[in-house]
Amino acid sequence: MASLVSIGQAVGHVEGPAKVTGHTLYSADVILPGMAWAKCLRSSFPHARIKSINTAPARALAGVHAVVTGADLPDVRIGRFYLDIPLLARDKVRFVGEKVAAVVADTPEIAEAALRLIEVEYEELPAVFDALEAMKPGAPILHDSAPAHPKPPAGHEEVHISPPIPNVLSQVFYRHGDIKAGFAQAARIFEHVFYVPPVHQGYIEPHACAVGIRPDGKIDVWLSNKMPFVARHQLAVAFDVPDERIRVNAVSIGGDFGGKGSLMDTALCYYLASRSHRPVKMVMNYTEELMAGNPRHTGHFIFRTGVDSAGRITARYARTLFNCGAYGSFIPAHTLHGAHHAGGSYRIPNIEIESLRVYTNTVPRGHMRSPGAPQTIFAVETHMDMIAAELGMNPMDFRRLNVLSEGDVAPLGERWRHVAGKETLEAAAKAAGWGTPKGKNVGRGVAMYDRPPGANGQSTATVTVDAKGRVTLLTGAPDTGTGSYTVLGQLVAEELCVPLSQVSVVHGSTDEASWEQGPGGSRFTHTGGKAAYEACQKVRQALLELAGEHLGCTAAQVSLKAAQFSTPEGKSVSLAGLMEWAAAKGKAPVSGAGVYNPAPVDVTAFAAQIAEVEVDPETGQVTLRKLVTAHDVGTIINPLTHQGQIEGGAVQGIGQALIEHLVVRDGQVTNVHLGDYKLPTAKDIPELQTVLVPTDSGLAPHQGKAIGEHSNVSTPAAIANAVYDAVGVRLMDLPITAEKVYAGLRAKESHQ
Amino acid sequence: MNSFTYIEPAAVGEALAALAQYGDEAKLIAGGTGLINLMKQQLVQPSYLIGLRRLPLTTIAGNGELRLGALATLRALENSDLVRRQAPMLAQAIHLVATVRIRTQATIGGAVSHADPAQDTPPALLALDARVKIRSQRGEREVALDQFFTGYYETVLQPDELVTEVIVPAQPAGSSAVYLKFLPQTHDDYATVAVAARVALTGGKLSNVRVALGAAGSTPIRARAVEDALINQVPTLKTLREAAALVAGAVDPTSDFRGSSSYKRDMAVVFVRRALEQALTQAGHKVA
Amino acid sequence: MKKISLRVNGQAQSREVPDNRLLIDFLRYDLALTGTKEGCSVGVCGACTVLLNGQPVSSCLTLAVMAEGAEVTTIEGLAHGDQLDPLQQAFIDYGGFQCGICTPGQIMAAKALLNSNPHPSKAEIQDWMMGNLCRCTGYYKIIESIQAAAEGKVRV
Repeated sequence: MASLVSIGQAVGHVEGPAKVTGHTLYSADVILPGMAWAKCLRSSFPHARIKSINTAPARALAGVHAVVTGADLPDVRIGRFYLDIPLLARDKVRFVGEKVAAVVADTPEIAEAALRLIEVEYEELPAVFDALEAMKPGAPILHDSAPAHPKPPAGHEEVHISPPIPNVLSQVFYRHGDIKAGFAQAARIFEHVFYVPPVHQGYIEPHACAVGIRPDGKIDVWLSNKMPFVARHQLAVAFDVPDERIRVNAVSIGGDFGGKGSLMDTALCYYLASRSHRPVKMVMNYTEELMAGNPRHTGHFIFRTGVDSAGRITARYARTLFNCGAYGSFIPAHTLHGAHHAGGSYRIPNIEIESLRVYTNTVPRGHMRSPGAPQTIFAVETHMDMIAAELGMNPMDFRRLNVLSEGDVAPLGERWRHVAGKETLEAAAKAAGWGTPKGKNVGRGVAMYDRPPGANGQSTATVTVDAKGRVTLLTGAPDTGTGSYTVLGQLVAEELCVPLSQVSVVHGSTDEASWEQGPGGSRFTHTGGKAAYEACQKVRQALLELAGEHLGCTAAQVSLKAAQFSTPEGKSVSLAGLMEWAAAKGKAPVSGAGVYNPAPVDVTAFAAQIAEVEVDPETGQVTLRKLVTAHDVGTIINPLTHQGQIEGGAVQGIGQALIEHLVVRDGQVTNVHLGDYKLPTAKDIPELQTVLVPTDSGLAPHQGKAIGEHSNVSTPAAIANAVYDAVGVRLMDLPITAEKVYAGLRAKESHQ
Repeated sequence: MNSFTYIEPAAVGEALAALAQYGDEAKLIAGGTGLINLMKQQLVQPSYLIGLRRLPLTTIAGNGELRLGALATLRALENSDLVRRQAPMLAQAIHLVATVRIRTQATIGGAVSHADPAQDTPPALLALDARVKIRSQRGEREVALDQFFTGYYETVLQPDELVTEVIVPAQPAGSSAVYLKFLPQTHDDYATVAVAARVALTGGKLSNVRVALGAAGSTPIRARAVEDALINQVPTLKTLREAAALVAGAVDPTSDFRGSSSYKRDMAVVFVRRALEQALTQAGHKVA
Repeated sequence: MKKISLRVNGQAQSREVPDNRLLIDFLRYDLALTGTKEGCSVGVCGACTVLLNGQPVSSCLTLAVMAEGAEVTTIEGLAHGDQLDPLQQAFIDYGGFQCGICTPGQIMAAKALLNSNPHPSKAEIQDWMMGNLCRCTGYYKIIESIQAAAEGKVRV
């Protein structure tokens, strides 16, 4: 293989200088001439009819330009897939924090003051907060009808929308094999129940948006959303205008983690701008984020697994029940992809997964890094450990017996090309010293996960070489921090044989760039990379032809290396020289567009994590001493950004395992600021050892795989399993707190 | 935040006059880290804010007895050679308050006046027998800190009074003090429970015992029952354990994000015992 | 309303502000210095960290009137003309940021650390930087960036 020049280099982010000097533009930084500020009044009841809203005192306040309620707006429903979210509550509110009215004013302070003058009369309705309670006959019903939704897909999933179970929005079945037969073959059957409460994405940038309407009707939008073309279309539908009437401007996103794929307040912001005849900006504060953002779904799990006499899994039934809160439209699908993973990374010849999303009068839930997977895998991997314990098997040996290996079929029938489950597991075991002596109250726990690179939606890229030989890649994908622009730049530099310093990656608005799905679902190195690669091939070919013309030979005779085009005879020209010549002939700039629509993928990428903990038996405190995170990887385009994804994901996993819990009580989020909803700090991190298991089965250009959602998923189970190994206390829910471990230790003592 | 008028007196007398004039309509602001948050949440809405930053109350002085100006920042105190030498436990406890930014702005006068029962500074001061100097236009008084806190964010301070100094007396010869902050989840948090303990040994028997707790009730708490059980006792694991168990009756913790009240109560017992053990070990006495 | 005069990034500034104006809003909206970011609004996340007379403070908890007469340094004031501060370059070279929203606060806090302790240990870095939350990096590369700057390993 030819040696790579730019691929594999650990270069810093190309947008770094702007980020470290404070010049990067985020939505909340947008300042428009004549801009007004909007703030929202939010419901303090979880379920109530709106009897009346008196906005007159608010409208009378000096500096207020408009006060709007649901009744003043068209009955538009927005969403990422289902459409069930009103711009402002109409007739009733369904969760504490739902927007009821909006004020546009000269300053945010005046807007807040005006909110306090709005009088809302509510008639409380019975409310339901727990997903299991919401499904019972007689439960209060949140929505009278199914939301508008796309047709369920044909495929191996069976999808029921609004089935006749109270408050169930969607019920999806995944099946492979015959579980009746599978359970009949089992020597033993195990059933366990698990619970995972919600956590919040915890991006440091709260949602913000700004909308300005130009005199000619063009609508300028800035919003904290990583899929600007999707957002533009959703807005166009909501405003009943053509897509091209709206320009979604380029901003950087201050952390996404799945939570910045919705319109949030943007559609409302447009109506406020048009009502008040001035540009309007809306910035959520962090309390609004925690109480009314779109945090993770709560998960309730029943897992039933049959094993044969040797300990091999013969069948699994899993019910994954997700509490989606008051509205279901913050995710771009019927259910969470994580339900798909109820088989884990193991050989399961017969499986049935039932996945339900249930409405309750709580904060609506959305996507968060590997949606549904941390919850499901916590159940899967704890269940695996519990079965191992019942069988008297070491948890590692039980996994070795069942883990997916080359040639195996995955639980839902996928036939992955090159299955590195076993290698990844063994690499983790070796690095963690599995089986070596440990001290008292010290334990090790293992958990696995696998996930294919994302492959939904179109990516495009345009590469242009100008008259001076400078290369620009134009993308419509926002930067969410993953290093995507750097990776794209390195791909371009590699393909066109120029130094990275000669490549600019430009983020264009929806007017300038072409349709782009945007980052998410671990897709972008794969799809954005391929689009860039295709654009580069076109540009490269065009340059070779120009060089041939300039140097007096055929394109095929030209070789390109280190920004020099040369002939077999030794004649050569630099890229800059070639483009100067081309410009004089009217043949500059040279441009090429790449469009990539991914086909279904045939590879997956494994992760295996081993946590080592020490438990203080007097207090139950769990100290995570070390985490080994092993990953099955293809070619790594940028080791620095790749490692950054692993580390950031692992700490998010640690947060969900040990620290974070969005506490919803009586329907209300009770920890409504970061003093009470704790995120991991620089002092809370363990020793982290990364093990990379190289394979050559990637999809992205140069056989890259995906990494974005691979290191945060198995962490909670690895830690919980380690706690059991240390002191024999089993956690069936998250987070793993000292108090829970303490209670478990005292319960064990009283049984002895 | 509501609108208010900001006043910045240049001298203590001016500040006291403003307090006397505006009474309940005014709030004092030193570092502001506590007050601004309360104001942002609309919990406190003063018409006047009396800014103290120009007042000459930042001195850290003393010879044996420490005299800490009320406006000395927590950062200045944790870094002060004087404090580290004469009351090292206080410097250690202050270092654990929140983050370096908060400690840059927060003051010791603010820490005691704000009377947040979960904060680190008050129980540390309690265990060192601190007292506060309070001034108003009506005069000056000194109050022992264990008489100062009356309730949840409440003190004996009258609306026209200002804390001007915190005094930490010279510690008994040979005494050793320890501050333990139980943070089971994350390092930047209020304690689940916190214990400040001071011991000395006279003729092999415990003397000058002080045990104070934070995050254990509506005020910082002096665990007198524990102290009384230890005075004049020979310190053994058994006596420490038995005395520590008495703290369960002295605390009244609230259930919150950091733990249930029964867990906090159990942890108070554990950490009182650990604090006493560590204080003795630090003094060179191995407990058996 | 009060007239305040102070120096921001070495430049004298004088403005009339409402008494209740927060320093973060003064910087971002009165002076159009949007490099300082608002995250949590309660002084916990550190995204709003600026230097006030050389010391790190939460600008979201500081009144603008209380910065009267002070020297304020924001992220925009750190580079020396066109040349990045070694800390800024270190954050680029060592991956100390991803999305960048917490980065101005991280760098200002780190600057204050190195000003007061030019050769901090890893534990001292973690202790000081505990108040600057980052959701992207997991902190490992923030610590490495600060260490690299402290050890003079950065070429600007």
